[in-house]
Amino acid sequence: MRRQGRPSEIGRLAAPVARLIDWAWQRVHWWVITMAVLYCLSGITVVKSDEVAVILRWGRLVGATPALQEHGPGLLFAFPRPVDQVVRVQVKHVWEVPVTTLAGVVTQEQVPDEDEESVTSSNENTLDPLTQGYALTGDENVVQVYMVARYRVRDAAEWALFGPTAKDVLRVEVTAAMVRSLGEMGVDQVLSDGRKTLIATAARRAQAGLDAAHSGLELSSLELTSLAPPQILASDFDAVQSAFIEAQTEQNDAQASAESSIPQAQAQADAAVQTAQADAASALATAKGDADAFLALNREYVASPLVVRERLYRDAIEKAIDTAGKVRWVPPPVGGNYHGFRISIAPRVGSGSDEKQ
Amino acid sequence: MVDAMKTQRWLRAVVGSLALAAIFFQATAVVVGEGQAVLVTRFGRPLRAATKPGLHWKLPWPIDSALLIDMRRRVYETGQTEMLTRDKKNIIARTFVVWRVGDPLAFTQAIGVQGGAEAKLDGLLTNAAIGTLGGHDLSALVSTNPSDLQVDQIESELLASTAPVAMRNYGVALEQIRLERIALPEENVTAVFDQMRAERRQFAAKYQAEGEQAASKIRSDAELEAARITAKGAEETARIRGESAAQVAKTYADAHRINPELYRFTRSMDSLDKLVTGNTSLILRTDSEPFSLLQSKDQK
Repeated sequence: MRRQGRPSEIGRLAAPVARLIDWAWQRVHWWVITMAVLYCLSGITVVKSDEVAVILRWGRLVGATPALQEHGPGLLFAFPRPVDQVVRVQVKHVWEVPVTTLAGVVTQEQVPDEDEESVTSSNENTLDPLTQGYALTGDENVVQVYMVARYRVRDAAEWALFGPTAKDVLRVEVTAAMVRSLGEMGVDQVLSDGRKTLIATAARRAQAGLDAAHSGLELSSLELTSLAPPQILASDFDAVQSAFIEAQTEQNDAQASAESSIPQAQAQADAAVQTAQADAASALATAKGDADAFLALNREYVASPLVVRERLYRDAIEKAIDTAGKVRWVPPPVGGNYHGFRISIAPRVGSGSDEKQ
Repeated sequence: MVDAMKTQRWLRAVVGSLALAAIFFQATAVVVGEGQAVLVTRFGRPLRAATKPGLHWKLPWPIDSALLIDMRRRVYETGQTEMLTRDKKNIIARTFVVWRVGDPLAFTQAIGVQGGAEAKLDGLLTNAAIGTLGGHDLSALVSTNPSDLQVDQIESELLASTAPVAMRNYGVALEQIRLERIALPEENVTAVFDQMRAERRQFAAKYQAEGEQAASKIRSDAELEAARITAKGAEETARIRGESAAQVAKTYADAHRINPELYRFTRSMDSLDKLVTGNTSLILRTDSEPFSLLQSKDQK
């Protein structure tokens, strides 16, 4: 390759350089060879277990689809720089970022510098939109949300080479998605059974936003650590809750008393019926007994009426004499009339008396 | 000796040409990576932009020089600005934009350093937001009625009104504009709070009234049912007692019908037994039984 034409001038100029190279070569040639070999091997990269690597050859991404671009854990053979550049990305790790833009207090860095307005709100009964985060629900109620977003890298090349900063894009996309999702639901729905729907809708919107921003990120979960009306209204919301619970309790009490009063009434009615049945049975038994006794007596009476009649009369009179507190005997009237004979008929001595002649 | 000289010459040539090649490569090659662009300037004047990743060439310094431009997407949030909706309601809105350098040449000429881009975008976006939101009611942003909401439309309007301007004036490509925040001015929040309080009280009163009504209905239903059961019981009792009385009366009547005279007599004796108690004073004639028997004995 060397030209023979004008060797003298170039040779003369290059002579000191050639001597230097010769001198250096003789002393450090092993080093040079070692360095050259090491340079050739410098393209070999170790990809760790939670990483994938993409290769840029002359700056251009190798591979057409993410599956072809990404190289999994292990040894990766690539050319040394400047031909190849290996970019390693942690893809399995799940990162967590708190989103406080709609929470009670926004961090200082997110407060834009509004020079003329001093942001000192002494009034408790309001919220300063510049320093205090909140969102409006569909029925124009104010709620405050504290969110935690968990994400991981889904498309390593997109995230590393084209995407915006992960934390920034997550914060804004999640905030926008939540503001929009809250804006289409009523406050009562949001604070009760609509919470799951809210999270699902917001997460879906945030993911759509992340995809549209070519972030290469996947929102693995969106969590609401708190979702509540502002502190100053907490007692009003609690009052509704306790009114609801009281109403439920009152209904339950009424139900309980109803459940006990109906069986009670049933039991009383049953007892009355049973008593009546028992009374009836006993009355009938008594009547039958009396009837039998009467029939027996009758048989005797038919046989000898005078004797039976006499006996009965005497039994009765004797019993009456025995029972009565006082017994008086009076002579039979003379000629059918009593004269000057007074009978006092009185249940008790000393009370008013009737006189009979 | 000749061999050694030859080897040495060969070695010199290799090392020398490698060094020269390295220097030449360093001076003229430009590696444009993914997500990057390079603006080549000749004597400071922008010449061309290399936006495709790969190996590009330029003349060595000081003729040409290469300016690396970050083409990755970036997020910018505007300030919070108070604006008026079509239904004359004050709101405070904030938008964010996902942008990237769309035209490196125009971008460098219009803005130069990248920090300046965001100040220009802020003005553009804020003006667009004021204009666009002024054409919609507040219910297009927040409403429980899905047919009122027009957020998608508003965001597309914002993008349509700003993206061409940003590209033409600043070489900036806007890819996504979203409403990040919809809030109310401080003084309006008080009114909203009052309204929220009133609504809560109304709800509490409603729950209370509904609870009382339901409870009293349950109670009165139960009372009615209990009364019905008691009445049925009473009816049954009366029926049993009536039937029993009839049966008893029939039993007695059947027996007494056989000998009414004896019945009358025994009834008189029973009545006598019942009428005479410990307080009774009994007055008997001396000629009645059993005194008469004693008398007659004495006389005989």
